[in-house]
Amino acid sequence: MKKLLTLLTFLPLTLLAHLNIAVSYPYIGALTKTIGGEHITTTVLAKGNWDPHFIVPRPSLIANVRNADALIMNGGQLEIGWLPPLINRAANPKIAPDSKTFLNLSHHIELINKPKVVDRKDGDIHPDGNPHFHLDPQNILLLAGVIKDFLTSIDIEHKAIYEKNYGEFATMWKAKIFEWSQKMADKKGLKVIQFHDNLAYFNKAYSLVNIGTIEPLPGIPPSSKHTIEIIELIKNEKPFCILHDVYHSTKTAEFISGKTGIKIVLMPHDIEALENITDLVALFNHLTGAIK
Amino acid sequence: MKKTLLSSVVCAALVYGADVLPMEKRTFDQSKFIPDISLIMDASFVDRSIKDDEVAHLEVPGVAHGLLGSHSHGDDNHATYNAQNGFNLNYAELVLSSSVDPFFTMDGIFHFSENGVEIEELFFTSNALGYGTRLKGGKFNSNFGYLNEQHHHVWDFADMPLVYDAFLGMHGINEIGAQLQWTAPTPFYLMAGLEVLQGENEQSFGHETIGDVEDPIAEGDDGVSLYVGYVKASHDIGDTTLLGGISYAQGESRIDHGADEENPHAFSGDAKLWGADFVVLYQLSSYSSIKWQSEYLQRELDGIQYNLDATGAVLSSPTMFKEQSGLYSQLVYTHDKNWRMGARYDTILQNDVKNNSIMVEQPNGLDRYTAMVEYHTSEFARFRLQYSRDNAMFNEDGQREKLDTIILQANISIGAHAAHSF
Repeated sequence: MKKLLTLLTFLPLTLLAHLNIAVSYPYIGALTKTIGGEHITTTVLAKGNWDPHFIVPRPSLIANVRNADALIMNGGQLEIGWLPPLINRAANPKIAPDSKTFLNLSHHIELINKPKVVDRKDGDIHPDGNPHFHLDPQNILLLAGVIKDFLTSIDIEHKAIYEKNYGEFATMWKAKIFEWSQKMADKKGLKVIQFHDNLAYFNKAYSLVNIGTIEPLPGIPPSSKHTIEIIELIKNEKPFCILHDVYHSTKTAEFISGKTGIKIVLMPHDIEALENITDLVALFNHLTGAIK
Repeated sequence: MKKTLLSSVVCAALVYGADVLPMEKRTFDQSKFIPDISLIMDASFVDRSIKDDEVAHLEVPGVAHGLLGSHSHGDDNHATYNAQNGFNLNYAELVLSSSVDPFFTMDGIFHFSENGVEIEELFFTSNALGYGTRLKGGKFNSNFGYLNEQHHHVWDFADMPLVYDAFLGMHGINEIGAQLQWTAPTPFYLMAGLEVLQGENEQSFGHETIGDVEDPIAEGDDGVSLYVGYVKASHDIGDTTLLGGISYAQGESRIDHGADEENPHAFSGDAKLWGADFVVLYQLSSYSSIKWQSEYLQRELDGIQYNLDATGAVLSSPTMFKEQSGLYSQLVYTHDKNWRMGARYDTILQNDVKNNSIMVEQPNGLDRYTAMVEYHTSEFARFRLQYSRDNAMFNEDGQREKLDTIILQANISIGAHAAHSF
């Protein structure tokens, strides 16, 4: 009887000790789960096959952040269109942007392509720089460290486990980084076209040169005038391929391909972006193997 | 001498001006604390089948009048959105919002129009209470129903649904008061809210004295007079989001039409309003969706109607009981980032008016059909073409006036504007 009572008293406590962490995108969920292991559960808010800029702030997501003990976001204004109303509605002080259980990953990464002038006539630009930084595998390692420190800071009790999980991940990931750089070695200097510059960090990591985007300006849908310019550019510069995201229609890319014969390569940006991308390793395996 | 002095002052100013310190080096600079500022303009070109002077006198019989056009109340000119044929500048909406301190935020929404400035909303919100509770105080749009909390520039059509406009007027329940909302710790979305409001709605709620203070027609009641409560729940099935809610508002009612040229009258009594809303959003892709949105509203007014003469003297004061309901249902298809289109059906379902317990016959078929197509050059600029056929409007002789309206609306925004909630 006494045992049962003790069990009943401690059961809720162990449940409380189990951290429920809401994260904005699948890649953050995977990293957090890897480091946190069985001591945390993650709730991913955005779906991996959708445009990360345009997530509908559906009420079910309010419930998700309402019940979270911590929130980890990408930052760099990638979530500006959907996360603020969720945080505002959920009224959960634990996920307030000034609390110690809130983590903005972009604050720990040096963002590239920061615009000198911020003006909407230049399209839907990100004033803090390009926020798609997780597509450089080196940054993934950095972020894993940031998440380890974050989990440790909010749950010091399991510090050793987080350190151990991080250590194992880092060893595995470093080997993978080497493997991927071998795979991409002969792609150095390759010219590519994109729909939107969401592979900026990937291109930088492997020295691919982005020479143009199908959208005339960030966030502005393709125009016939700009499409003709891109066709001309492809004819003159002879880029290797079009690297295309999974969420925009490939219609314009196919039209361009029809006129120039250029290849279209579908590049997943996150876990679940394509059906076979189930984890971070699969994501980079795919990305580094796609350009043939 | 004077000239030299003046020019040296100018020179000194120029030299000093050229040496302005960069922002980060100004010791007492506070410009980093500037709140988010945005400005939204709404302008339209309107073509109605009825002249402006006549449109202002149309009414939904037994329900409401003065819903369209512009009206003069003494020196005060009051215009509805898209009031006149030709060009209309509906408003410039200035939005300021920022954190105040770690405990709450403040938002101010101001409508500038050619008739003056209105504080549309001005409120503080606290999310620091914990347990999923959120407290709001100030002037704000009530969270009654689905559409009521949204600003005009978020609406899918250029005008309000008929039942909202008729029961609550063009601003909906927009009141001074306090709001407490609680989001339940459930795996699905469940929210309950309670609002205590002053109660100053032109169509349904009010508590002010009507008539002369010395010898009032209907005596006012000081203080808070309107209470609103609601429960909302949402669930996702794959890429489909379902959101439903029920709302209730109860308060005192004072409707003063004593200054009207034709049939001046006033009403004093109690008002109750029930609402049910249901939204289904089916997301086809990141940029494409189908949204079906419907709301049902039911109103009960119970009190005394004072029929007045031109001097404001009471001619008769029968008891008045109104039980009325209506709904709108709209379907909006978002094709891509550029194109959206939609259709809406409006109707008044029930219109029971009892004057001294005797039913007053009201016409049937009070409905409206609307269609629109939108082109967005970006998230910040929207152009909308809307056509509507309104069968609910009657002239002062009690004749139905079929009203066709074409509205070409431009809604443009600049600055830092917070993302909208679902």
